[in-house]
Amino acid sequence: MLPEKLKSELTAQIGRVAHPREMAIDVINALQDHFGYFSDEALTQAADLLGMSPLELDELATFYTFIYREPVGKHVIHVCDSLICWMENGENLVAHLCGQLGIRMGETTADGLFTLLPVCCIGYCDRAPAILIDRKVHGPLTIESLDRLIDTLRENHS
Amino acid sequence: MTATYPQVLLKHRKPDRITTLAEYREAGGYEALRQVLTEMDRQEVKTRLSDALLLGRGGAGFPAGIKVQTVAEDAPFPRYMVCNADEMEPGTFKDRVFLHAEPHMLIEGMTLAAYSIKASHGIIFIRPEYESAARILEREIDIARREGWLGERILDSDYDFEIVVHRSGGRYICGEVTAQINALQGIRPNPKQPPPYATDKGLWGKPTLVNNVETLACIPHIVRNGAQWFKDLALSPEAAGTKLFCISGKVNKPGCYELPLGIKLSEIIETCCGGMKDGATFKACLPGGASTGYLTPDHYHIAMDFESLKKVGNRLGTGAVMVFDHHNCMVAATLNLTEFFARESCGWCTPCREGFPYLRDLLWRIENGQGGADFIPMMKTMCRHLWKSYCAFAPGGVASIESLLVYFEDEVMAHIEGKGCPFKK
Amino acid sequence: MPKLIIDNREIDVPAGTKVIEAAERLGIMIPRFCYHPALGSVGACRVCAVAFTEGPVKGVQMSCMIDAQDGMVVSTTDAEAVDFRRHVIEWLMLHHPHDCPVCDEGGHCLLQDLTVAGGHGLRRYRGLKRTHNNQDLGPLVQHEMNRCIQCYRCSRYYQEFTGYRDLGVMGIGSRVYFGRSAPGVLESPFAGNLIDICPTGVYTDRPSRYVGRRWDYQRQPSLCIHCSLGCNLTASARYRQVMRHEARFNGKVNGHFICDRGRYGYAYASAVNRPRQAMAAGTIGATADILAGAREAIEQTVERYGPVSVAVVASPRSSLETLAVAKQACGRHGWTGLAVAGTARQALNQKTAVDRLRPELAVSLAADTKAHDVLVIGADPLNEAPMLALSLRQVQRHGGHVTVIDPRGVRLPFDFDHWAVHPSSVGAIVQALIQEIGGGGASAPAISTAFDVRTLARRLNASPRPVVICGTDILTPREIDLAADLAQALCRTHKVAGLFFTLNSANTFAAALTHDASVSTEAVVDRIEDGSVRLLVAVEQDLWRDFPDRKRLQAALKRLDHLVLLDFVDSPLNHTADHFIPTQPLYESGGHWINQEGRLQASSAVMAGGEPIEVTGTLDHPPRVFDTRIPGSEPIAAWQAVAALSEESVENQMQLLKTALVDFHPAVNPAPAEAAGQRIDLHAISPARVESGVPTLPADEDAPADAIILLLVDWTFGTETLSAMAPALNKVEEAPAARLHPDTISRLGLEEGRPVTVTMNANRLKVPVQADARMAPGVMVIPRHHLLEWQIFGETRVILERSQLKAESA
Ligand SMILES: Cc1cc2nc3c(=O)[nH]c(=O)nc-3n(C[C@H](O)[C@H](O)[C@H](O)COP(=O)(O)O)c2cc1C
Ligand code: SF4
Ligand code: FES
Repeated sequence: MLPEKLKSELTAQIGRVAHPREMAIDVINALQDHFGYFSDEALTQAADLLGMSPLELDELATFYTFIYREPVGKHVIHVCDSLICWMENGENLVAHLCGQLGIRMGETTADGLFTLLPVCCIGYCDRAPAILIDRKVHGPLTIESLDRLIDTLRENHS
Repeated sequence: MTATYPQVLLKHRKPDRITTLAEYREAGGYEALRQVLTEMDRQEVKTRLSDALLLGRGGAGFPAGIKVQTVAEDAPFPRYMVCNADEMEPGTFKDRVFLHAEPHMLIEGMTLAAYSIKASHGIIFIRPEYESAARILEREIDIARREGWLGERILDSDYDFEIVVHRSGGRYICGEVTAQINALQGIRPNPKQPPPYATDKGLWGKPTLVNNVETLACIPHIVRNGAQWFKDLALSPEAAGTKLFCISGKVNKPGCYELPLGIKLSEIIETCCGGMKDGATFKACLPGGASTGYLTPDHYHIAMDFESLKKVGNRLGTGAVMVFDHHNCMVAATLNLTEFFARESCGWCTPCREGFPYLRDLLWRIENGQGGADFIPMMKTMCRHLWKSYCAFAPGGVASIESLLVYFEDEVMAHIEGKGCPFKK
Repeated sequence: MPKLIIDNREIDVPAGTKVIEAAERLGIMIPRFCYHPALGSVGACRVCAVAFTEGPVKGVQMSCMIDAQDGMVVSTTDAEAVDFRRHVIEWLMLHHPHDCPVCDEGGHCLLQDLTVAGGHGLRRYRGLKRTHNNQDLGPLVQHEMNRCIQCYRCSRYYQEFTGYRDLGVMGIGSRVYFGRSAPGVLESPFAGNLIDICPTGVYTDRPSRYVGRRWDYQRQPSLCIHCSLGCNLTASARYRQVMRHEARFNGKVNGHFICDRGRYGYAYASAVNRPRQAMAAGTIGATADILAGAREAIEQTVERYGPVSVAVVASPRSSLETLAVAKQACGRHGWTGLAVAGTARQALNQKTAVDRLRPELAVSLAADTKAHDVLVIGADPLNEAPMLALSLRQVQRHGGHVTVIDPRGVRLPFDFDHWAVHPSSVGAIVQALIQEIGGGGASAPAISTAFDVRTLARRLNASPRPVVICGTDILTPREIDLAADLAQALCRTHKVAGLFFTLNSANTFAAALTHDASVSTEAVVDRIEDGSVRLLVAVEQDLWRDFPDRKRLQAALKRLDHLVLLDFVDSPLNHTADHFIPTQPLYESGGHWINQEGRLQASSAVMAGGEPIEVTGTLDHPPRVFDTRIPGSEPIAAWQAVAALSEESVENQMQLLKTALVDFHPAVNPAPAEAAGQRIDLHAISPARVESGVPTLPADEDAPADAIILLLVDWTFGTETLSAMAPALNKVEEAPAARLHPDTISRLGLEEGRPVTVTMNANRLKVPVQADARMAPGVMVIPRHHLLEWQIFGETRVILERSQLKAESA
């Protein structure tokens, strides 16, 4: 269930705009942050708030890169695999990361901490190779700096 | 080094923070807006933009002056001003750099453009990866409103203008005007072929002006210093203004540099970026993002402006220069780019939706030793046919493949005959 | 009129015509997937590419996206265009499963055709195929996503055209998926059209899955007889069984589509319990003998009690042929009848509607979509005439406006104004509207200020194309007259105004032309009770299901000397009737029907009839009986049976049918074959208003204060007699319930979800209560549902006093 506070906030925000639909992505994001991913429950809740049908909302949710319709880990790591990051040795970085986490691209670690996803050029080619962790950019990365990143995240949870 | 060229947009760029409203005012910020609201009429703004020959910086290079003129005088209200900060063209990060430096320059530019077409609502459409920039913008918009540069009755004129930040869910196609307008309305962001044009029936069916961040940022300066001044900024006669070039890849100092349009590619690489990395030799570059074709050593001294690149059958695009050296495999590079387009195709029309995965498959086989000589004519025909797609995504997407087959056919053949990638051996 | 050249042939087309349509007028079928005349152009599939060699447009372009313009020279055979189209097909086939051998679309598949036509014979792509999971979309439509070619027709049809929001497109790129957010029954009662509109086998007909290839079927143009609109369809039969309906295009009536009631309502024709043999008091006999026996009984009865002691009732679903012969028989012999309508009110309603439908006012279902402003009075389109709702949806899509004045909780797939008024005030409001627009008439009694009559009147009056739609099920003749007056009043402000009635059954219009309003089945029952009618012939009139007072009916039938039944549906009465003759449904007899706008339409026989494999076994192979006659082929056309009852010698039945049709009605063309498809000349309908012995109806006004009005109504699924026998539709129909406004529920001390028992002359009906805030207070609505024994009220619109309602504990 959606906490009343969040619900009323969103209802208020939606009330302020001329066309509820224009808030779709913001509402999806808010519910995704709350539920950890954009679950079916989140979908129906959001649809109600926006006066859209679940399908209409799913048509949007399934289109975008940063909306997760399936469960993801606490930290979602988006690895840029576009031209520059790839040229700057990104491929090895990914291989290393997979090894470190013991998962393949698109998977989530058993402890539910990390999900690994590819992403198209994130606009930090001047800092290649770069990755996004929870929408925050890190780069240019070396194997060492990447390991340190992961370790600190791990420590924060233990 | 770059300092030898006049800096306009990034003049006051700081390493770690934005230019505050106060600092922006000191540097003459918002003066253009004051001038326009107090003593200039709308037409004058439009005329200056046209005279300044300001070409869209979002990739298409459409004259900004003409676009504002296309909003009919008697068009209905409300009218919308959309700032396109989606910036998902691979290799491009100029808008990001700029937004982290001069948010108020954008706000002023937007307000001026909006004023010229009597738009009351401004929207900044921004990609999710730029959350930090989105936060900055929201904060500075509030500040600008508090100081009276935005909102109701700006500077006690009868003009009201509001700006909101719209976060995208993240897809390359959302940068395309018509798709972006759909996205803003909470509809699937498939492009919509005009007519009607956005300036006629755009957002919510109302006149909508869509411009790139950098385009809008130029406007205050044009209004303040005039069209001639702006034209004189460029090195080549037919070009006008400076350009935010994003140089990445095999150079010593990748980054975003403000340089006059018409500057030589060689100068960008050698003087601004400190030359090629580890003394490698320049093999090729993409001049304006993933949707442009390769330039080769033959083009090493080409003037970087819209005209000159058109002359060699290429495009300036976003001015995102991605540099390759002689260690890079052009087939692998093109495969990587094609993967991008296969992944980002919106799925509306057949040639793009199915053609890119097909081309990716062919390139992958060539790169991995499964290619055949018949692949080359196949790819050429398919690329030609992808030009008949629904929107400009696909023609952009095949640019690299087409130029690969023009300039690097030998390298491709070497893959096919050698049953593998020569650069991996 | 732009003039252009396509493949060296010149053609003029109206401005705004797309090149793909212009080519079609020349008989040049340019390939297309996403383009559909009903959905328009979107340029997604790119398979309609042609070359523009001269004129305003140049190069290879999509013919569906470009308006024909003067001076255009178009080539569909241009090498580049052909090669591009070949590639488009190749791309579309990358992921197609090539499962044509087990695909129900195989044989009438546009993708199949264009793949061959496009010259894509050999697979070049060496990559893997992308696959999808299918969804269970309910009992009517089968989903097979892997066949999808992403033409977007389904999502556009479903959301834009029908206005439902539970099917669409998800995902992106080469993984786009068409379906629902979660598996489940499709909400749209027009979902079946997905099957026709999908250019390949993503959506196929579920009930007829794996039954046959199109070329295996006997296919004939047929009609839907499940409501009064008369939508056109193509019926497919195999193994002596109707297997499938598809929409048949008719630009004047249903356009490209039909509703699911019409698409899946056919099962009654091959029902296992369909009577196929003649019976005398339950004992099977030869049809000829039983007919003879019946004739004898008639003659005796006439001898003893005179001709009026023989009465004939027929059914509004019977063919024009049957009604004509029955009417003629009554006329010739002076028998009582022909009665078709159930009750006095219904008879009057139908007669009034048909009499008031003047030619200058009558509009077709298709014309409705062009209306700017529509006022619906006492009609519930989605439930009474589903395709009307789809037409109104188009009105709203084109910027028009729809207002509904009806006590029920009317629902439509678009935004409309609903005035939920009590049935007894409908008339007053219409009267007020007439006055507002200066139509004069008696001054209207004061009406609730909740309804802004003035604004509505202004809108209708200012509208370039207003249409008044009026129902005939829940209203009384007074409101129907007023509705017609309103349409006429609107005409005075010199513009085209339209009038459109919905009737209760497929051939009610024809029926209303035959009977005079004083004879209804109810009236006949009166005469049975007072002993003046001794023998009753019921022609395809399912008294058991349709007569609104079953107990009374049974008692009356007992008093008869003879009961003669002719029908093709099972009924307990068949087995007790003195004489029962099995008749043929329209799939076997063919015939003509006149829809609610007076359009005479023909339906061909699809098959000879006989025992279907539904009966003889497992749907795998027809029975291996070796005989010169088809087993179970005894049923005859109802009109033939009636003819046999009326005439000693039935050699020249055809001749008799001819004369019967000639005498039928001056307005009806004697040779329907020629007239079929046209609206009959309504001028010829005598405008003489119904007078003769008109029964007086109880007025709602003088009902006690705490009384409510009960309406027994039609639902999209589950109420119409024939379609309610279709197992596929039984799976999607709603469970019967009594619906009331929440306030009325509490005022009556009832409780939502709990059953209520309604008592009527010592008979009881127990039904769960449902709240519907959209309804008018003081009204109870119960569906004439096949799962309810609702036949206790004697009418379908009755006043109930508080004492007749009792709340039950669940
Ligand atoms: C596939 C595609 C993606 C695009 N992405 C962007 C983008 O991210 N940012 C942008 O400003 N323009 C983008 N454009 C260009 C816009 O369609 C449009 O030309 C531009 O925003 C107009 O602004 P301008 O005239 O100031 O350049 C894209 C175009 C296409 C076809
Ligand atoms: S070209 Fe690609 S991006 Fe553009 S409409 Fe077609 S599928 Fe979508
Ligand atoms: S029919 Fe024209 S693009 Fe599909």
